[in-house]
Amino acid sequence: MTRPDLSPSAPARPAAGNPLLEVDDLHVEFRTRSGVVHAVNGVSYSLSEGETLAILGESGSGKSVSAQAIMGILDTPPAVIAGGGIWFEGRDLLQQTPDEQRRVRGPGISMIFQDALSSLNPVYSVGYQIGEMFRAHRGTSKKEARQRAVELMDRVRIPAAASRVDDYPHQFSGGMRQRVMIAMAIALDPKVLIADEPTTALDVTVQAQVMDLLKDLQRDTGMGLVLITHDLGVVNEVADNVAVMYAGEIVERGTVDDVFTDPAHPYTDGLMSSVPQVEAKGGRLQPIAGQPPNLAAIPSGCPFHPRCPRRRLGAAAAPGRECATDVPPLRLVVPGREAACHYSEEVLGV
Amino acid sequence: MTDQQQMDLRRDEVEAGTTTGLAAPSVDVTEARQNSLWSDAWGELKRNPLFWIGAVLCLLFVLMAIVPQLFAGGADPRACDLADSKALPSAQHWFGFDQQGCDYLANVVYGARNSLIIGVAAVLVVLVLGIIVGAIAGYFGGVTDGVLSRLTDIFYALPLILGALVLLRVGPSTNLPIISDRGPGAVALALALFGWMTAMRLVRSQVIAVKSSDYVAAARAMGASNGRILVRHILPNAVAPVLVYTTITIGVLIAAEATLTYLGVGLQRPAISWGLQIEAGQESIRTAPHLVLFPSLVLTLTVMAFILMGDALRDALDPRQRA
Amino acid sequence: MGRYVARRLLLTIPVLLGASFLIFAMVYALPGDPIRALGGDRPLSPAVVAELRERFHLDEPLWAQYWEYLKGLFQGDLGTDFRGRPVLDTIERTLPVTIRLTIVAVVFEAVIGLIAGVLAGIRRNSFFDNLVLVSTTLIVSIPILVLAFVAQLLFGLKLGWFPIAGTREGWYSYLLPGLVLASGSLAYVARLTRTSVAENLRADYVRTARAKGLSNRTVIVRHTLRNSLIPVVTFIGADIGTLLGGAIVTESVFNLPGIGREVFDSVRAQEGAVVVGIVTLMVFFFIFFNLVVDVLYAVLDPRIRYD
Repeated sequence: MTRPDLSPSAPARPAAGNPLLEVDDLHVEFRTRSGVVHAVNGVSYSLSEGETLAILGESGSGKSVSAQAIMGILDTPPAVIAGGGIWFEGRDLLQQTPDEQRRVRGPGISMIFQDALSSLNPVYSVGYQIGEMFRAHRGTSKKEARQRAVELMDRVRIPAAASRVDDYPHQFSGGMRQRVMIAMAIALDPKVLIADEPTTALDVTVQAQVMDLLKDLQRDTGMGLVLITHDLGVVNEVADNVAVMYAGEIVERGTVDDVFTDPAHPYTDGLMSSVPQVEAKGGRLQPIAGQPPNLAAIPSGCPFHPRCPRRRLGAAAAPGRECATDVPPLRLVVPGREAACHYSEEVLGV
Repeated sequence: MTDQQQMDLRRDEVEAGTTTGLAAPSVDVTEARQNSLWSDAWGELKRNPLFWIGAVLCLLFVLMAIVPQLFAGGADPRACDLADSKALPSAQHWFGFDQQGCDYLANVVYGARNSLIIGVAAVLVVLVLGIIVGAIAGYFGGVTDGVLSRLTDIFYALPLILGALVLLRVGPSTNLPIISDRGPGAVALALALFGWMTAMRLVRSQVIAVKSSDYVAAARAMGASNGRILVRHILPNAVAPVLVYTTITIGVLIAAEATLTYLGVGLQRPAISWGLQIEAGQESIRTAPHLVLFPSLVLTLTVMAFILMGDALRDALDPRQRA
Repeated sequence: MGRYVARRLLLTIPVLLGASFLIFAMVYALPGDPIRALGGDRPLSPAVVAELRERFHLDEPLWAQYWEYLKGLFQGDLGTDFRGRPVLDTIERTLPVTIRLTIVAVVFEAVIGLIAGVLAGIRRNSFFDNLVLVSTTLIVSIPILVLAFVAQLLFGLKLGWFPIAGTREGWYSYLLPGLVLASGSLAYVARLTRTSVAENLRADYVRTARAKGLSNRTVIVRHTLRNSLIPVVTFIGADIGTLLGGAIVTESVFNLPGIGREVFDSVRAQEGAVVVGIVTLMVFFFIFFNLVVDVLYAVLDPRIRYD
């Protein structure tokens, strides 16, 4: 099953492809009783056909919120999209009517979630829930929708799909449930698939199977994949490019190979040193000091400065590059690499 | 929990107004946690206007029960003049006069005492029965639990008013203490005997939930006795839901007392009681509707006071309710 | 499922027996001598009294009397009152009234309670939501006795919309008492629905439904209400069993000749056999509808399996 591929050979680098999805200076706030929480603060990225972009960050870094903003499924209120644009196939989704946005969800952009058990409705069979995509967007008959559901379950390699189509979510294992979610998400051949921590809730062996499945599906269909995760291993295996988020901002961006071998931001650097590496036995793991930022009171200047081992404060700082007062912009450090740190060159060692 | 019990608990919520969320503690009751639970709850309560309405009303009726003279406008409920029979409310006599020509405000005010005494006494007996039976059933489980739970089911299947009605009707011909004397004690006891089951189930489910937790296992491993575990570790957890239940139940029982008295098996004349006033007023509902309306209004406000407070307490004590 | 139902049915037997024995024991301690009362001013001859006492097993110990009663019960004989009318006839005469009252009450409870609860749950913290919260609190706080009188006074006497007592106007006579009887449950259904809808709206699978690009209507009806209504529907089911047995006050105030008023009259008239018969029936309804609800639960929620 293939879609007409617009680019001659599915490119691994964004520069070569057509941007499918562009997020431009997105701001999302949550206005609550106890104050305004700034969850996403000016995030921009673009995604081309066939590209896998990993968005890496701790919980609370705004990675899931930005994805939900793209899908248009934030609860508003309390969430408010305070600024920016989300361009999909040349149109700004934020300027569209709710109904136009709705029609994009499914055939245009679709999403899979972390916890498949709670994300699937417990009182409907999986076949019904997959078939619902066809019935809602294409007006397919009930019977045909069920048939399509069986085909999709086959396609995501659920054994004995025909006999399991009428089973309920709780009757499946965790990995199989996530496959059901994937089947549902790819039902209408979306151009962009957003996977929000798709393997976090799964066993390691099952994780690999699900990631392989996603990669295979992407190769077959040429869809763009946004992979939201905090798992460096997953990023390393499947992503082309990576954007590292901290406190609702992108702090570093580049190809996975570049970023992982030589980080340009102290936060990324900290992330790399905080996970065990098979190659570097014997070295000590160094967790990042301090706590993730409180999004209701983001530190002034560089949001990472309170935890940063390389921060320069007061007289130690270069003019206009004081970490606690001057906000570092996301800038090109070396070709193909952007980082939001006053001292990226030092971090890189160039 | 079996399905039957879950079902029962759901049904219990109707009467108790409690939610099962409260009945499922899974973490230790360290003192800190309990403290923060109560101080958070107080913070919530302070901001809830319905709680304050309930609390003020409640205080008012408690005062009325203790010193009715303050509210009766100087009138004596038993000083009556037939010439005033069924006179409508006036500026001097806000609630008018009853059939015997007694000042109705004084009568209604003096009715608060019996209502509150019966409500509070009945709830205390309910708590004693409920906590004892519930704690034993939940803690020991097995056959003990089976028998006690079946016993609870039996009482549960009988409607409260019906059970109390029959018992109170029979009461005077028996030689049972308290029950046979037709006084407030008999009414309170009859209500409690047919109303303790929800408290039992509440306590039982709490005990079962906490019993299986790690910190109780730890206490047992360190050699704490059954009694000590029950008193020190398990019962404190049950305090929040039982408090909510108790507050609301006082209101429910006060309403039940008025109903039984209205049906003729509760308090008897010459006792002063809202139920009796409503019953007597019923005959002249067309000509002197105030005779039914005033005791009804005061009765409703009393019941409401407790239910408002209980509702507010439940919202404050259930963290799930907080956004 | 079949085996589960069978087991549950078996478990209901001791409850049914226990409850009926409890009421039997209380009733047979009723004051006075019903046989003497039957004779009125004309004293009955000692022979007749002895024969009547014999017939009603009045001189035997309590457990023996209960045993006699049970033997009759299993043959479909609920005994007779002291005037010789079979209790079964009394039930046949009064039960339809109570069933009609219950039907009206359940319709009110389900329709008004559900609509109010769903709207309040969807528009949480709106004016309507607060209105539902406050009004349900008020309704729950009003004793049914008071509510009955106020309804009678306002809608019957002052406005004249409804008959204030009796059943002469057919189903129309049941509207006002039905609404009064339903009020507490109605308020509870509204609250339960509100909480359940509001909780389900936050559920992950509702987020999924939105992410699938389903219409708002489908998201609400199929993915929120369908799940939210499970506890509500089961509550209403169980409530039928409660309403069938709990209408003493409503039936008395509105003068409806149902089983509630009949049992009240019989308690006052010391008609033990009638009291025991009707109460046993009430307990049966209560248990039966709870069992129905358990089964219903499994039908509505595929996660629940009793086997």
